[in-house]
Amino acid sequence: MANPFNELRERLLRGGIAPRHVRRYLAELADHLTDLRAEEERAGRSRAGAESAALIRLGGVDDLARAMIEQRQLQSWSARAPWAVFGVAPLLLLAAVWSVALFLLWTGWQVFLAGYDTPFVRVPATGPHPLFELANLYFQLDRLLYFGAPIIVGWTIGIVAARQRLKALWPAIGLVVIGLVSGMSQVHAGRSAVPHGIGHISMSFTFALSAHGGPFGLLQMLVLPITALPYLIWRVQKNRFPSA
Amino acid sequence: MNGVPELLILRLLQQGEMYGYEIVQAIRSRSDAVIVLGEGVVYPVLHGLEQDGALKSRRKTVSGRSRIYYSLTPAGSRRLANLKEAWINLTGAIQMLMIGGQRGESLQ
Repeated sequence: MANPFNELRERLLRGGIAPRHVRRYLAELADHLTDLRAEEERAGRSRAGAESAALIRLGGVDDLARAMIEQRQLQSWSARAPWAVFGVAPLLLLAAVWSVALFLLWTGWQVFLAGYDTPFVRVPATGPHPLFELANLYFQLDRLLYFGAPIIVGWTIGIVAARQRLKALWPAIGLVVIGLVSGMSQVHAGRSAVPHGIGHISMSFTFALSAHGGPFGLLQMLVLPITALPYLIWRVQKNRFPSA
Repeated sequence: MNGVPELLILRLLQQGEMYGYEIVQAIRSRSDAVIVLGEGVVYPVLHGLEQDGALKSRRKTVSGRSRIYYSLTPAGSRRLANLKEAWINLTGAIQMLMIGGQRGESLQ
């Protein structure tokens, strides 16, 4: 039998109700329906008759949805303040993860590359490798954190927007902002900028490609499409198959 | 009838914890079926009251069925007292108007 609450779920999510409240409401309605069906069967109705009588007693989709949507305190933050959820929060999250990544870069620079003026050491074609295996792993993981952060943040925006059936405007703004900020970001490092040579790491934002070039420059160009792609695919699928 | 489901729910839960179906049946039976709530719409009221801190809930398994039981919090008790007072004042005023109107009509 088709789930009698599918339409209600979609209506509630589109109405801005937080998914956890929707889940619980539907679970309680399903329990209530079971109790009503049992009561109707005890009163002598057939199984099919009890089912339809129980559904009528429970209430129509319009009434059930309206009663929930009228409770404004059950709305999700994405519905109440989309600018904060899709505009401010992703940027703050990205800034926090990047701060950690840059701190790790600085720490690795102090520990593994104490004699170098920059942590962005190019691997020489010949001769000894300046990075030991552990150090290499350390810096690659740090790079992964730095380049992966905007993609994960973007995908999270897409997941939140898809779960809550939100209109595309705010998620799209969030994705574009994250894509642009991460695509424009540049990391600089040098020992001479501060006294005692403890090293100084800074960031700038420009449309130019990464100063470090190579595959990271390419990744920088692709970060916006990679970040937005899953959400775009979901939107296209949802438009083609609205009931999916 | 605005605010009535809230008042009735708080009053019932003052006597002990209950789950949604139990609440609807209790309202129906204790009001001699004069007050019949839309069965499904009781949950948004419960969720709203819980969100406001007037109720708390816990999942409990009884006879093999897992149900969400609601109970009153101290904030809920205060809210009930306020609602009850407002309701008594309102119904008193309406009653006075109705009786007063009847007297006025009979005097004319």
